[in-house]
Amino acid sequence: MASKAEFENHCWADIMKPEDLETYAPYARETGIGDNPALLVIDLYNLVYKGGRKYPHELEKDFPNSCGIYADDAIAPTQQLIAGCRAAGVPIFYITTQFNPHRVASTRRTNIKMVAEDCEIHDAFAPHPEDTVFREERPSAFFGTPLIAHLNERRIDSLIVCGESTSGCVRASVLEAHMYGKHVSVVEECCFDRCEITHKVNLFDMHHKYADVMHLDEVLSSVSLMKAA
Amino acid sequence: MTERIWDKFLTERDKQVFAKGGWAANAGGGKKPALLIIDVNYAFCGEQSKPILEAVEEWRTSCGEEAWEALPHIRTLIDKCHEKGIPVIYTTGTIRDDGWDKGSWAWKSSRSDEDTSDGAPPARTSNRDGNDIMDEIAPSPQDIVIRKLKPSAFYATPLVSFLNDLGADSLIVTGTTTSGCVRASVLDAFSNNYRTVIVEEGCFDRSQASHAINLCDMHAKYADVVQMDEAMEYIEGIDETYNLPTG
Repeated sequence: MASKAEFENHCWADIMKPEDLETYAPYARETGIGDNPALLVIDLYNLVYKGGRKYPHELEKDFPNSCGIYADDAIAPTQQLIAGCRAAGVPIFYITTQFNPHRVASTRRTNIKMVAEDCEIHDAFAPHPEDTVFREERPSAFFGTPLIAHLNERRIDSLIVCGESTSGCVRASVLEAHMYGKHVSVVEECCFDRCEITHKVNLFDMHHKYADVMHLDEVLSSVSLMKAA
Repeated sequence: MTERIWDKFLTERDKQVFAKGGWAANAGGGKKPALLIIDVNYAFCGEQSKPILEAVEEWRTSCGEEAWEALPHIRTLIDKCHEKGIPVIYTTGTIRDDGWDKGSWAWKSSRSDEDTSDGAPPARTSNRDGNDIMDEIAPSPQDIVIRKLKPSAFYATPLVSFLNDLGADSLIVTGTTTSGCVRASVLDAFSNNYRTVIVEEGCFDRSQASHAINLCDMHAKYADVVQMDEAMEYIEGIDETYNLPTG
């Protein structure tokens, strides 16, 4: 949970113009997680980690679609997030890409050469047997999957979201969750993109329109309080 | 329950197959249901109770006397839900004045041109909009009305979003036609993991056989088909607070 005064204390602070922040001032509010949340882990598959700690433009030729250093930076926080949710009994849903050589791609880029292993979830976040894994071919985790049916059945009223890319599958899934009437909390340190400014602006957009963008420590303390209750 | 409305349409083998296969178990209703009243409008009921073959001259989709027999039951369910603070959601159709958006509805009926006001048949003397919900069960300010283009109440509508906003986890279903929009909506409710109770006396159809067999199918696979007394007892037992519209 974060107070109204902390509403703009996020990664976009260094790029937003003061006049734009003024325009968005009426959106300021207290942020938090829902009463009965699930964790949604989006597209943390091997492909985006390929090539290691380099900037995406340095990896573009050999590993198109890698998020390089941005992906690597998010590994440790995301492991903490998953562990915290697991310890609190928060249900965990993973979505990853459905490998299919003739797949309907979720973006329009032209130079992707994928193999099946690229679409498997990275070992750092290996799902447990009690978790639920869905495969998607489109940006939103809801499109063409039974995710909403699972949330309905378990009376899950809200999502905690992490993964990639902030501007692609994360944003598409957050928007659709919002349209379904679910409260959404997006964990800033656990989302990433190939482009830093895109990451920041998309978090800004989601925070003001659809979701509560929260810091990892806030989410972890909220989740642990939920367990105590 | 003794004899069901569909029993007389089933063969002995059918009955044995259902029993042996373990179908039609009692699923039980949800903890926080919303009442869903599907398409109980003038196009499906007509403007007065008439034998169906006469009624369809005026409104091609009318279900005749069965519609008018269902209305008081639906009224009773609505009143009970209002008393208990249970959300009441209506669906009805919508159509452009020029009928362009009827889309696939035009494919299977040779009389679909009659759905716009310009196309009313000679037998229809009023200028009533067929999509108006029946006065006998008119929505109250706190109720919710959803306009839809296709059979399912879920298809291209905000119904799931509204159920989430209300805090509802399940449905009580009434309306028409049993084989059309009721079945399509119940199937989507099932696919979305909403428990569903269908009230037999509150549903109606143009076809007697379709009404019975569709109730049979839904009861076997997707929902619990119950009668009024059981439905009223279920609603009486609901003691929940919803995020209702202020009205």
